[in-house]
Amino acid sequence: MFAVILVVSLAGGATASALLGHNGTDIFPYAANYSLKPVGPWTRVPATHNSYGYANGGLAAPPKGAPTTLLIFGADGPLGRDEFIRVVDGGKASLEIALGGVLVALLIGLPLGCVSGYFGGLADTFVTRVTDTVMAFPLLLFLVFASVNLDASLKPIGAWGSIIPEGVVAEAVLIGVFTSFYPTRLVRARLLTLRQEEFVEAAEMVGASHWRILRYHLLPYLRPMLIVWAAIATATNILLEVGLSFVGAGVQPETPTWGSLLSTTWGTIYQPQVFDKTQFTVWQTVFPTVAILLCVVSLNQLSEGLRHALEPEGGR
Amino acid sequence: MRIVFFVARRAVAGLITVWALVTFAFWVFWAIPNEPAQFVYPGQKMNAYHIRMGDHILGIDKPKTTLYFDYLWRMLHWNFSPSWGSYQFLPGLPRNLHPQGVQVQLMQELGVTLSITLGGAFLVLLLAIPLGAIAGSRLRSLSDRTISLVALIGVCTHPMVIALILRGIFGDHLHWVPATGYCPLRGTSFGNGCNGPVDWASHLILPWASFTLLFLALYIRMVRTSVAETLPQDFVRTARAKGASSVRVLTRHVLPNASLRILTMIGMEIGTAIAVCAYIETAFQMEGLGLAGIQAMLGLDLPLILGVVTFISLVVVIGNLIVDALYAFIDPRVRFSTDPGRTKSLAGGVI
Repeated sequence: MFAVILVVSLAGGATASALLGHNGTDIFPYAANYSLKPVGPWTRVPATHNSYGYANGGLAAPPKGAPTTLLIFGADGPLGRDEFIRVVDGGKASLEIALGGVLVALLIGLPLGCVSGYFGGLADTFVTRVTDTVMAFPLLLFLVFASVNLDASLKPIGAWGSIIPEGVVAEAVLIGVFTSFYPTRLVRARLLTLRQEEFVEAAEMVGASHWRILRYHLLPYLRPMLIVWAAIATATNILLEVGLSFVGAGVQPETPTWGSLLSTTWGTIYQPQVFDKTQFTVWQTVFPTVAILLCVVSLNQLSEGLRHALEPEGGR
Repeated sequence: MRIVFFVARRAVAGLITVWALVTFAFWVFWAIPNEPAQFVYPGQKMNAYHIRMGDHILGIDKPKTTLYFDYLWRMLHWNFSPSWGSYQFLPGLPRNLHPQGVQVQLMQELGVTLSITLGGAFLVLLLAIPLGAIAGSRLRSLSDRTISLVALIGVCTHPMVIALILRGIFGDHLHWVPATGYCPLRGTSFGNGCNGPVDWASHLILPWASFTLLFLALYIRMVRTSVAETLPQDFVRTARAKGASSVRVLTRHVLPNASLRILTMIGMEIGTAIAVCAYIETAFQMEGLGLAGIQAMLGLDLPLILGVVTFISLVVVIGNLIVDALYAFIDPRVRFSTDPGRTKSLAGGVI
């Protein structure tokens, strides 16, 4: 199920744009404007970026036979863009950030955890102190600080056309760095017990190097635990990205993410907006939320399934 | 006696944590390019004189190490430096010559945040324990699935969205409770007609509800897992065999086992809860610590950042100290272990 969501969010936006004949940044005045609240799901609107003139204080009715286009989820807010394409595209940015964050966290956390759990001593003390300190402070505040004050220089890094929007890599790296403490701790705790096992002693006795013991004797034991952690962490990273959008510290505003879609209706922490019936429909909250929900639920199922499959002793 | 040592050791470790965070914040701050003088002359065009004068007014025209120990010294005396924003100098207006230290503002905000988090945490436990017990004792049943799904929806909807929906329905539309604002528990402020605990609670009902909806899922899951793990054990069968009713088995024999896990989790989530409060505080227009934290991180006001870092880490450290003491009190087996094997839960990210 998660694989389906992944594929849909990576390729769905472009496919939908091709099929429907417009993309996520096209603005349709007839879908929403200052006198008309956004249209609901499955509505056909005139496929024009201009209006057909004004009449009676509003937009004039389109002439007969004007070409129309289909908005599957309706319009996204006062601008009148296609909510469907934006939700699907938003999944792309959100999932890229989430998965990238997990990857970066693993790249940092695995070596650190190995060093501290396997070799112990001074390195272990240092790593433990640092993780304890960082865990004592809310992650969100770190991220807000870093993404606001460092982002300007980091944002253009790694942008790659429409596949990886600008700012995604920077946010993934930031999230990854500040969440790398969880895999570090997990790996360390596991290695501390595994280190005492007899098979490690046996491997040492036959002259295996530290690298060989870690790579071929210990890593296989860590893998199930890390995969399960990765599934859960992807879910939390998605939610973290939503939070950053509400602070206004996320990716570029024009890049849709699930968080930024929600914050068009509800505002940011500077300007919270109480739901305004004349400007928004409930659909703009429902669709991104359902998308997040599906994703998190499927990741939860995935992690439960992996746990059962990979940890013979049952885990929980 | 040994428990005193245990707590004392933890307290020292906690203080080191606070110190490390403050130090980290201080030096990272100076590594970022910024222009503090703009706090003194907001929105004005500055020349070299303005910058030097501004730095002098803010008291930062000293070596950074001196400044660092200066800040630490004031912190130790609970007399924080005033925020840079309070030195603001606008043409034609008198300058605030003796601004208050940030601790005055932050103490008030701490009251707001603690009201939300403590009340919310109480509600979470009140609901999560029975619901989790129901779900855990009927694994994979309809009620289990329903409870889990509803709780998951709470997690996946952003706290700010939940808070604004609740405010829109019950505050702005139905007028059942005040939509915005905060009433202090003690003392009356005449402007908004706040008076005592009743007003305090009525202003806080919606924030508590939002807080609960967010954290409920995790605790339900936790209780559910714990109950499901404990039920097949031998002592539960013994209790059943001697004729205890199923309610008694649950409340007396099974649920106490969940209490340790819940406690561990609460200890880890204190910081998260404060940050999450930022969204709830925004939605209900309360001036709280979470919001202050985010605003401090967004602006480049060093004394405010250091104050917020100190406050939040102190709250986390003290909260963890209480949790550790309770932990040792409830379960003698873990009394002297230094590491209860903690890992962060799913809530780590919501924030």
